[in-house]
Amino acid sequence: MAESTPQTSINIPQILTVALVGFFAIRWFLNKPASPSTPGSSASSSQRGQQPDLTKINQLATMFPQLDRRTIAWDLHRNGGSVPATTERVLSGRGLDAPPVTWQPNIAAPGQQAPATGTTSGSARKDGVGKREDDLITRYNLQGRVGGKGKEAVPSEEEQRRSTWSSDKAVRAEVLRKRREEMVLAARRKLEAKGA
Amino acid sequence: MNSVASKRLFQEYKHLTTDPPDGITAGPVNEDDLFVWEAMILGPEGTPYEGGVFPAELKFPKDYPLMPPTMRFLGSVWHPNVYPNGVVCISILHAPGDDPNHYEQASERWSPIQSVEKILISVMSMIAEPNDESPANVDAARMWRERRPEFEKRVRADVRRSLGL
Repeated sequence: MAESTPQTSINIPQILTVALVGFFAIRWFLNKPASPSTPGSSASSSQRGQQPDLTKINQLATMFPQLDRRTIAWDLHRNGGSVPATTERVLSGRGLDAPPVTWQPNIAAPGQQAPATGTTSGSARKDGVGKREDDLITRYNLQGRVGGKGKEAVPSEEEQRRSTWSSDKAVRAEVLRKRREEMVLAARRKLEAKGA
Repeated sequence: MNSVASKRLFQEYKHLTTDPPDGITAGPVNEDDLFVWEAMILGPEGTPYEGGVFPAELKFPKDYPLMPPTMRFLGSVWHPNVYPNGVVCISILHAPGDDPNHYEQASERWSPIQSVEKILISVMSMIAEPNDESPANVDAARMWRERRPEFEKRVRADVRRSLGL
């Protein structure tokens, strides 16, 4: 009797501890495959985690064109895909953390086109300008006016500078267009003469 | 509000047409929408950008001139203060009180007494003298700082290519 009492009083906490540890261990094993991926967890869960929501990434990339898409994807990946949370973080000036080098989500392909369509939402930007035409001759459709050996009438500097203000909208637009074109052509002539 | 902005933009357009600063052409892409402009800046002399023409798009907010426009170069411009997507980072385009890094003087930032002309002139001088403190294009900034000949060579090549030469 005197021996059995301490025996049981030791056993009850022990049994409880074992039961609790066992319970949590089983729970952990059962939940592991379904839980959101922790870094370096099983292949299947990281695969799921690396499937970024392109709509959200595009949305954020449009708002913050200075940010790298992978960085955006990483922040979304970590905050559970919350656009407001990422936006808040960028706007607060804290900036986003750089993603680990090993983290390479599949966002590259749409990344090539998304900024182009995203940042060129401006109305008059559709006619081939959307793809950020570097060549100004192509951009302003001046192919016909360069390369020909015949000297084109070159407006004098004075003529170029003193563009008059017309009361007619169409004339104004035309004057502006001419000034732009002349600026490109003059630059090309100058550079051509220098480089030749 | 809208008409205030339109009126002001129209006035600025008129001024820039009748008395344009050297090497700058600017005006609305389409007069039906005065809030989208296209500007062209001539590369400043004595810099690797010399001889180049750099078109840019200016987008004005509806509450202009209280708030500044945004400016984006339409071609690629390799410059420490121009983001790879063409967006220009310069203090005059930053709204008052919109300075998370506290490195700009309030007087350098946007205020309604500034104008499109002043923006374009500021951008022109920014092209000539990059601001190393707040690079928008880190790679360009590093090259400008550490490998200046390579930087200048690249810019010159870009200029020639942009003119189809």
